[in-house]
Amino acid sequence: MTPLAHYLIFSGILFSIGLAGVIIRKNIIVVFMCLEMMLSAANISLVAFSRAQGVNGVPVYDAQVLALFIVAIAAAEVAIGLALIVAMFRARKSVESSTLNSLKD
Amino acid sequence: MIQNLPWLFLLLPLVVAAIDWLCFSKCPRTAATLSTLSAVATFALCVAYLNGWQTGTPDVYTWLPTATEGMISLSMGLVTDALAMRMMLVVTGIGTLVHIFSLGYMKGDASNLSRYFAGLSIFMFSMSTIVLADNLAMTFIGWEMVGFSSYLLIGHWFNKASAADAAKKAFITNRVGDFGFIIGILLTLAVFGTISFAEMGGKAAGIAPAVLTVTIICLFCGAVGKSAQFPLHVWLPDAMEGPTPVSALIHAATMVAAGVYMLVRLQVSMGAEAFTETACITIASVGAITAVLAALMALQQDDIKRVLAYSTLSQLGYMVMAVGLMAGEAAMFHLYTHAWFKALLFLGAGAIIICCHHEQDIWKMGGLAKRMPLTVLCFLMGTFALIAIPGFSGFFSKEAILHAALETCPVFFWVGAGVAALTTFYMTRLCLVAFCGQARAHGAAEAKEAGPTMLLPLLALAVMAIISGYGFIADNLVPFTGFEAHGFELGMPFYVSMGSLALGLAAAFLVYGCGKRTTDPLAGNCLSNALRKRLFIDSIYDKGLVGGIQEYGSQIIEFADAALIRGVIVQGFAWLTAKFGMLLSWIQNGSLRGYALVAGIGIIILMFILAFTIPTI
Amino acid sequence: MESAISSILFYVFAAAAVLCAFGVVAFRNPVSSAMNMALCFGFTAAVYFGMGAQFLGIVQLIVYAGAILVLFLFIIMMLDVKAEEHVRKSFPMACIGVIIAGIFAGFVTKVAISLPGATDGPCPALVLCDTIGDLAPGAIEEKPAEETLAPYGAAMPKLNPAAAAMTLGADEATAAKATAFPDTKLMGQALFTKYNIPFVILSFALLAGTVGAVALGRKIRKD
Repeated sequence: MTPLAHYLIFSGILFSIGLAGVIIRKNIIVVFMCLEMMLSAANISLVAFSRAQGVNGVPVYDAQVLALFIVAIAAAEVAIGLALIVAMFRARKSVESSTLNSLKD
Repeated sequence: MIQNLPWLFLLLPLVVAAIDWLCFSKCPRTAATLSTLSAVATFALCVAYLNGWQTGTPDVYTWLPTATEGMISLSMGLVTDALAMRMMLVVTGIGTLVHIFSLGYMKGDASNLSRYFAGLSIFMFSMSTIVLADNLAMTFIGWEMVGFSSYLLIGHWFNKASAADAAKKAFITNRVGDFGFIIGILLTLAVFGTISFAEMGGKAAGIAPAVLTVTIICLFCGAVGKSAQFPLHVWLPDAMEGPTPVSALIHAATMVAAGVYMLVRLQVSMGAEAFTETACITIASVGAITAVLAALMALQQDDIKRVLAYSTLSQLGYMVMAVGLMAGEAAMFHLYTHAWFKALLFLGAGAIIICCHHEQDIWKMGGLAKRMPLTVLCFLMGTFALIAIPGFSGFFSKEAILHAALETCPVFFWVGAGVAALTTFYMTRLCLVAFCGQARAHGAAEAKEAGPTMLLPLLALAVMAIISGYGFIADNLVPFTGFEAHGFELGMPFYVSMGSLALGLAAAFLVYGCGKRTTDPLAGNCLSNALRKRLFIDSIYDKGLVGGIQEYGSQIIEFADAALIRGVIVQGFAWLTAKFGMLLSWIQNGSLRGYALVAGIGIIILMFILAFTIPTI
Repeated sequence: MESAISSILFYVFAAAAVLCAFGVVAFRNPVSSAMNMALCFGFTAAVYFGMGAQFLGIVQLIVYAGAILVLFLFIIMMLDVKAEEHVRKSFPMACIGVIIAGIFAGFVTKVAISLPGATDGPCPALVLCDTIGDLAPGAIEEKPAEETLAPYGAAMPKLNPAAAAMTLGADEATAAKATAFPDTKLMGQALFTKYNIPFVILSFALLAGTVGAVALGRKIRKD
């Protein structure tokens, strides 16, 4: 059976790929996707812990409920985030994050 | 309790000044009356003291107590010896008369009357402080206070630019002298170990002459400023912008004499041995130079008050010269007689000015002898005293100085005699032009006798101008212990001074006739112009000293301002802030990826701390 | 045997998910990114299934791969986003991003493999540390070090259908006969009992999100 550590490493790699995407990509939609990926990677850790911490072969469902909540929040976030992206596109005719620099000036 | 009555000399005018200023600024009549009453009261008190009403030593109040051993604790006490009380007689006596005269003189300026009389009262307080001070620190306080009240009163009509400038000039010029004075006080403290007049005596013997010389000359600097000696004499003629009674009281009779009084007080306290030869020669030379220069400048002045101002300078030069010749009693005698007759001259001039509708130019007067005979008579009494006609008070005191000069150093005797001739010349010129002949201007044509508040002080002063030199008055009232007016003796000084008197009178009558001329026959040549322009000393000060100081000062300030404050502090900080801001704004670059990057770095650091530095449970 | 297969499947799916994640970052076309992401979420769901978390796996498929991804695709299509330009310009940035992500992954790996007993076999002490309360500092000190530290590194415990059935209220006899693990039932029980109120509050958050999206998305009238 796979040890917990491997699940955690998998989750960490997925998270760091998401982080790299957030840093590297300019397209704000892709950046947003990477953010979702990071949330999902965190969920993997939670589920793995839930299983590993289980008592007598029954996982700890607290962690899974938290993961479910994260999914729900992610959904809400996506709704709002994409609305923001649409609004931004309307205002700037672009989804490049480099155009979002009006704070600088 | 009763021995503290002398404090009234100080407190009464001070309280009255405060009340005038604070409570009666809207009722000028009340303020003026109150002020005059306080002057009369101090005068009465002074007379009582002079008549032997001794009450014992006034209490000494410790002002700045010091617990440390070896430190001097400053105290405030009064001396009521003969020198002080007789000087007080001059101050309060002339002060009272000037107060009364001012009631008439300032009638047209009722709105500022409270301020004026409050200023006079402050002056009375300050001058009394100088006279009665029992130590140099207290003298210095009074010294500065008279400077302040003089500033207030010269600038009484501060709406006039010239008055405001004159007040400023007087104040600033005095600062130069006061700087030396305070150094002198500190030197005295260091050298003598005390600044109390009572404790100074006999300590001069063991001190190096060079140190003593420096100390005395530094103290003398204060007198140079306050008594308007060369080279700090420039403020006194300008101070004539103030009301004429103020000129009479402050800039002729009392305040400018404070320097002489202070020097004499030092001579009495320190003992004659403290005044080294170098110091004495310096003092006498400064006095002589002032006497000559001022007399020369007075020759070509047209403003009646300025003639008197230069005459005051010249006479102060006499007094300082006498102090330098170690003839303190002669100096005080001249101070005493001069105070009366110069106050008389100024008040007379004030009455003439008022009656001629504020006309001060003697060439626009003329024929006044017919229109206001009483005033002119009083003025003439003062003039006779000033030019030392035998029998008038000035004659005796001038004779005393000349005597002392001849005994000590004949050079100064001849200088004194020359100045006496010049004095006679310019005073005769003034009288001939202003009083004889026909009126040359509208104001003089309409002049008529002044009112009683002005005439009465004039008459009182005229009487004093005549009699104050005689032994029966002088021996009792001259502010010097054990003084005896030796009158005059037929001898060389008498003949020489009679000669210079005759020379001056003859020259003046020859040049100006009996008031027939309408312009000055001596005017127009380069010498006259130089004298009119005060021998360019004022211009040199203005252009060279003031201008130079301003230029270099402004350059220094410019440097401090531009380089240090603007460059380093203001712009430096701005630059620093801007650069720091640029640094921060590089972080705050509005780029989403940059923020993500920073957040990523933050996560890594946090993770490093949490996972690798905190020991595992 | 069964565990070996599930282990192999985990590695396969995990590798596939990581690959797809790489694709998300690497592809310049947002549509390709979205597609890769859908695959990545699918493989992640498979990993969930492998861990016995069927409900979350389904939710992952439906919500992430279904709803969210479709929404992404819809927006991408709607905005007609072109492939990213000026990739070269951001090369240093890409390097920095990769380095940071690498460091992060390295840290996670380091932490994960340095968990106590990570390379040991199944740990009997697993049962001992069953609740959060046992992890409290005071509780830990009372127990022997090996017992408390073991569970992190141990292999996943086998799922126990019988115990789960008993948790759900079945008697011992019925529970002993149970073969399938009632993941969804347990999840539902947790959601609607212990986490009922947060669950309801969460629904408000979703509602707020919906309203916000509508408010942001509507056109701002000029007047």
